[in-house]
Amino acid sequence: MWAYSFMQNALLAGLMVAVVCGVVSVFVILRRTGFAAHALGHMSLTGAAGAALLGFPSLLGQLLLNSLAAVVMGLLGDKVKKNDLAVGVVLTFVLGLGAYFLFLFQNNYAGSVMSILFGNIFAVSSAQLWSLLILGLSVLVVLMMISRPLIFASIDPVVAASRNVPLRLLSVIFFLILAVTVSMACQVVGVLLVFVLLIIPGAIGMQCGESIYGIVALSVMSAVAAVVVALYISYQFDLPASFCITMLLCAGYFIGLIKNYVVKT
Amino acid sequence: MINCNNLILGYDKAITPAFNLAINDNQWIGIIGKNGAGKSTFLKTMLGNLAVISGSIKILGQAPGKINQLISYIPQEREINLADRMSGISLILSSAVGWRFGLPWYSHKLRRRVAELIELVGAGDYAHQPFNTLSGGQKKRIYLAQALVNQPRLLLLDEPLADLDPHAKQHFIAALQKIHQHQKLGLLIISHDMHEIACHLDAFIHFSSTGVHFCETIECVKEDSYVGV
Repeated sequence: MWAYSFMQNALLAGLMVAVVCGVVSVFVILRRTGFAAHALGHMSLTGAAGAALLGFPSLLGQLLLNSLAAVVMGLLGDKVKKNDLAVGVVLTFVLGLGAYFLFLFQNNYAGSVMSILFGNIFAVSSAQLWSLLILGLSVLVVLMMISRPLIFASIDPVVAASRNVPLRLLSVIFFLILAVTVSMACQVVGVLLVFVLLIIPGAIGMQCGESIYGIVALSVMSAVAAVVVALYISYQFDLPASFCITMLLCAGYFIGLIKNYVVKT
Repeated sequence: MINCNNLILGYDKAITPAFNLAINDNQWIGIIGKNGAGKSTFLKTMLGNLAVISGSIKILGQAPGKINQLISYIPQEREINLADRMSGISLILSSAVGWRFGLPWYSHKLRRRVAELIELVGAGDYAHQPFNTLSGGQKKRIYLAQALVNQPRLLLLDEPLADLDPHAKQHFIAALQKIHQHQKLGLLIISHDMHEIACHLDAFIHFSSTGVHFCETIECVKEDSYVGV
């Protein structure tokens, strides 16, 4: 099955998205920005609809809109606890815009709605692979550059602020990273299930990892394993790949939950 | 170490009258006063988080906010977002030069220093345990070690004894005492239990409605009944 070029593309796209999401999801949980990840996924729908309206590729529309929303959310909510309000306000505005785009495009748009909502990893083209590679590497390089102050500001924001760590700048950069990651992940699991790759790998990492590096490593491994196994199952049993990724990651999380419960008792 | 000249503190409006203060290097100072008298505002002003209403303040010869890498602040309320299994050691390590960009790298030298600090504050028995499972008193001693990891010249503690039972208070004070013996640094501590640590301090600053006064002994502020001398 791996001899088919569409399977090779799916595998490469899946691996790139899994590695980036595995790293980013740890910070999503530490910074309690799960709502932002979910909201950016929903906003991607508006981005894709806007791109369709203007005749751009959907990834470009998602990237532009998500980045704009990320900057606004980052500026409004530089403290970890203030994020929800900022995200809620921006999400409402963008979803309203999305509803209008959908209204304008109700005839042409409906056909591609399913692939945007649930993703279609088997339809990833070589050009998209290059886009994913460039975006993924950019995210990882920027994360490496800011990881030390980002970890400090995420774990202990009040003390980090007292040490002159630039919380607002970090907040904007992190939301931009999240925006790019969400746009990438949407190609694989779609806007509705993007939450899965941005929450559960990090949650699995935190069930077992005791240090930040350990947690990130476990998170990446669980995301990669889920994507590879899901592609295999999806091909063999003709099931949707995004469904398989979701079920495998959820199963991994619940197994970890049960294991921790058994160890504790 | 700290010089205040006709300083007036406040948020948008003044909450203290103008005052002058001169605190020497490595002095350990207790800050006393009723709620809302300007004690925490004083610490936040020193960090540059709040602007002065008027007058000036210099810390180690610099304006507020310029040398925060040399000041460690333990706030009264804080938000810690550690994962369930992460320990106090992870919290301390994450703070080590946490303002520098790049990947965090925890060298042997840093780990040795952290181990020494953990011993100094008496947290050796539980520093490896998940932080979220620790008691309030145990967490506060981890915060002390965290505050020392960057070798500060000045330590600012805002109500560190609040919410601690008598036993935990004694452990915390013992840790402070050891720090006083082994580390060269200045300390400003706000506390409503000042009588319990007064014997370890060099002087006091009293924030009251009539002004801000520097006192060599705690007896000079005993007109405030709640100080409990």
